[in-house]
Amino acid sequence: MLFETVRLALRSVKRNALRSFLTLLGIVIGVAAVIAMITIGSGTTEKVKSDISKLGSNLLVVRSGAQSSRGASREAARPLGDKELAALSTQLSGAKAVSAASQMQVRAVFGTDSITTGVTGTDPAYFTARDWKIVEGRNFSDSETRTGAGVCIIGNTVRKQFFGGGNPLGMSFRVGKMTCKVIGVLETKGFSGFGTDQDNVVMMPLSGFQRRISGSRDIDTIYVSAAPGTTTSALQDQMETLLREVRRITPDKEDDFTVRDMTQIADAMASTTAVMTGMLGAVAGVSLLVGGIGIMNIMLVSVTERTREIGIRLAIGAQERHILVQFLVEATVLSLLGGIIGILIGLSLAGLASSTMSIPFAPSAAVILLAVGFSGLIGMVFGFFPALRGARLDPIDALRHE
Amino acid sequence: MLQRAPLPEREALIRFDQVWKSYGQGEAQVHALAGVDLAIARGEFVAIMGPSGSGKSTSMNIIGCLDTPTSGRYDFMGVDAGRLDRGRRAILRNLYIGFVFQGYNLLPRTTAAENVELPLVYRGVPARERREQAMDALAKVGLTGREKHTPAELSGGQQQRVAIARAIVTEPMLLVADEPTGNLDTERTHEIMELLTALNRERGLTIVMVTHEPDVAAYADRSIHFIDGHIVPGVPSREVA
Repeated sequence: MLFETVRLALRSVKRNALRSFLTLLGIVIGVAAVIAMITIGSGTTEKVKSDISKLGSNLLVVRSGAQSSRGASREAARPLGDKELAALSTQLSGAKAVSAASQMQVRAVFGTDSITTGVTGTDPAYFTARDWKIVEGRNFSDSETRTGAGVCIIGNTVRKQFFGGGNPLGMSFRVGKMTCKVIGVLETKGFSGFGTDQDNVVMMPLSGFQRRISGSRDIDTIYVSAAPGTTTSALQDQMETLLREVRRITPDKEDDFTVRDMTQIADAMASTTAVMTGMLGAVAGVSLLVGGIGIMNIMLVSVTERTREIGIRLAIGAQERHILVQFLVEATVLSLLGGIIGILIGLSLAGLASSTMSIPFAPSAAVILLAVGFSGLIGMVFGFFPALRGARLDPIDALRHE
Repeated sequence: MLQRAPLPEREALIRFDQVWKSYGQGEAQVHALAGVDLAIARGEFVAIMGPSGSGKSTSMNIIGCLDTPTSGRYDFMGVDAGRLDRGRRAILRNLYIGFVFQGYNLLPRTTAAENVELPLVYRGVPARERREQAMDALAKVGLTGREKHTPAELSGGQQQRVAIARAIVTEPMLLVADEPTGNLDTERTHEIMELLTALNRERGLTIVMVTHEPDVAAYADRSIHFIDGHIVPGVPSREVA
């Protein structure tokens, strides 16, 4: 009986192909928008998460200056220096790597070629802490680190700019006022979610950087990565206590430094994008409501048009519920069809967006099932009133209807 | 599936007892039927005649359980059908009554076989049985080979045969025919009336037929004449013929 009714409904949808198509367009657009929004949104969330985890997993970042919610008031911020680095390097338990880094945008020149690049002065532990591999060549040696030798490890963008496909190892180029010899090449990271080229970098020993590029003994950032089995929050507490001690901050004063947990930042950003996704999805959901009203409208027309048919059916023994179910199924089939087409369009849109914006394509089975269910529900809800109207017709009047 | 109750034998199939059907209120009230008494036995072929507005269509609607009297009692098969609600009357129609209309009233763009199957669908008969019974009914009305034709591909006479097949596929107690030959030429009229007479004679099908043509009424066992909501004494049509 139900199969029969579905077949009947499909036939009626096919018979008025153009009208059916226009009716379900509302549902198609609504569902497509919801699916595309949510799929692109969760792809973006994943992208942001993976970008941040590329900064280093289990990574804690120390910078000078208080973390202020009222806006940065960094006037009184004492810079980080050797004594903080020394304390963190020697007195933390559960740290896998501790590394100091200072950065500056500097012009690098090789022959007639030049590029403005992010130069970082650091130490061998940096690559462990940031979880960044040297794919060619080697890390800084201890003596190079100590003396601040003119050696560097370069990112892929710099390598391509200066050396193309050739072997960069052993070649020398100028960075600001100093000459450095390439001893290693870093693994390619690509663009970050914020659009910066993470491979346009030059790494050199910190002491050389301080002496010949920045001209100060200050350290911008200290990276601490947690050893397996140590939580970042436990490590963070240890670091904060230690730094307050080293920097002699009395208990009545606020921290004048910040320890950031990258995992927390990743979670926060991911939840922000998730909220955005939800809101956009909800806005798109409104168009589903509009689509539902369209279905109600056309089902009312359909019931009026087929009054005589309803009369015939009632006369030969159809009961109210048969007529009700017939029109209800028809509305549901119509909106389900719209839902399925909408899902296909939404997924293709999301696929297109993810390939152009290079974010992962993340379709969710739950969302798709929900969209199918919801579009079916819309058909039932908005089809109910017209169907009831059809079922309540008086057979005599209906038969007389031309 | 809907099931029939066993029938008491030899009883009046249709009985009107002071049936009134009124429309409107107070001064503007119109009586389509004004206290009609009527009895039709099983196996009878009765023609209902009268000018338009005489009450013949109203009485046919009540007989067919499409409508109910305003007052008085209508018994169908010993059941007080005038007091039944919409749903129960629908079941009664499905189980015991077949309808044939002047305008055929077939579903357009639907094959002859599917049209005939329709009452069985609502009765809950499985598809295979439905198909077989529809083929049988179409064979009885002489339309074997036309099962796949849609109404638009059939002549008026053939369409009315499909409608008759649809009415008898459920093997009803009663066939209600409303001007069944009203849209047909003389020859087609004769064929359809022969078919109805045969169904009445050979299968004992009770037929109540509304018509205003004496030639058509002549096929019936007797005629009932309506004027202004009353039955007037008429001449039994068999005696005229």
